[in-house]
Amino acid sequence: MKIQILVSSLVVFILLSLSYSCSRKVLPTAEVNYLSSNDGTVSMRAIGIGSNQENAITDAEKNAFNVIFFRGLPESEQKIALIGTNETVEKEKHKDYFEKFYKGKRYKTFVMSSIPTSDLIKYKGGEKSISVDIKVNLVALRKDLEQNNIIRKFGF
Amino acid sequence: MQMKNKYFILALMLLQTSLINSVFCQNTATNSGGQVITVQPKIMVIPYTKEGEDLRTVLENDENKRIAIAKIKEGFDSRGFTTVDFVAKLKAAKDNNAFTSDNQTDIKTQIIQMSGADVYVQAEVIVEKGQTGNSVKLILTAYEASTGNSLSNKVGESGKFYTEDFNKLASKAVESCVEDFLNIMQTKFTDIVNNGKSVIIDISFDAGSQYKMSSEIGSDGLPLSDQIEMWMEKNAFKNNYHIQGTTDLRMIFDDVKIPLKDQATGNNYNPNKFALELFKFFKGLGLQPGKDVKGSTIYITIK
Repeated sequence: MKIQILVSSLVVFILLSLSYSCSRKVLPTAEVNYLSSNDGTVSMRAIGIGSNQENAITDAEKNAFNVIFFRGLPESEQKIALIGTNETVEKEKHKDYFEKFYKGKRYKTFVMSSIPTSDLIKYKGGEKSISVDIKVNLVALRKDLEQNNIIRKFGF
Repeated sequence: MQMKNKYFILALMLLQTSLINSVFCQNTATNSGGQVITVQPKIMVIPYTKEGEDLRTVLENDENKRIAIAKIKEGFDSRGFTTVDFVAKLKAAKDNNAFTSDNQTDIKTQIIQMSGADVYVQAEVIVEKGQTGNSVKLILTAYEASTGNSLSNKVGESGKFYTEDFNKLASKAVESCVEDFLNIMQTKFTDIVNNGKSVIIDISFDAGSQYKMSSEIGSDGLPLSDQIEMWMEKNAFKNNYHIQGTTDLRMIFDDVKIPLKDQATGNNYNPNKFALELFKFFKGLGLQPGKDVKGSTIYITIK
């Protein structure tokens, strides 16, 4: 009887410690890293967070574009921010464009491929994260920004 | 009689106005309805030459350099920008026997001047052969032709490969850096759009001139050099100017910013228009100036 109590309490302890370690899992930040570039395209590995796989992939794609627009991607040919580093001002200045770009999912037209490279990882609170390899048509993206007067064309 | 005179003067004035209008009004064939397109800088890609090297034969004998230049120009084309073709200019200059000097550096300067290029991009191709593989390195530099201000600098590398195909290696070296090079150039262009372009102003005196920089002039009797600086302070774009030096016989501003667009009308603005303002200023002081504009350098000679 005593042994049974001891074993069951040990099992409970192990389960408790396991669930505790799981809940301690820290949500990753929206990391975007350069993979490769070739002839007007750039490939990145981005992490996205969402309530399900679809949302997490969308988030990863948006993160990738945000980094190209407002931060620049080190090691790539777009080391400096394509639009500018003042994200809030730029988004406010071109509200309509970004509304259509993100909410209207226009950004999808510049994504050449979007391939998940990890399983969906679950976190406490129902959030899930996924790692995605995203290839973006940088030339078309730059042209689109130029045509919509978000950035200036090359030259004066 | 007086009434008749009045009508005559009025008619004369009307005639004068219509004459002025016919001279300065825009031709209907070229009227764009007020639309203004910013004048773009002329960019020319040239090969790097060492002292004593014949610029004309450098390109003809070295296909790697030709490939590098073509690839760089391709980079500009992909951004929708047309460059001045160096080879075509070189051929035209040859046909016209434009080069008389034996000094190759002079020929390079002559081509830049002749082409009217505002910006030139210099490409140095370095071929490296080794037992661990061959590679091509590329040094790309962009300058403002008139001021020598650096616009962008990049070093590209092909990486080492066991190949003798140097054309491909040259191509890879350009690909490795051209986009970054153009991005940096564009940030400098944006700075020029926002803060103005540089012009050099060289003010000197005619041999027979009775004036010097120390001559007290104008209604307030200040030295001429101070009058000039006060004017520059008011008229340089965003009060941005730099004096290289002042002597009694000469004053050089090595960097005066002028806007790309006339701030009042929105039309394109250029060094010639700024030179005219400067000319008017000297006239206002009761001086007889002469002006010459070469590219972005304004020469004022006081008689």
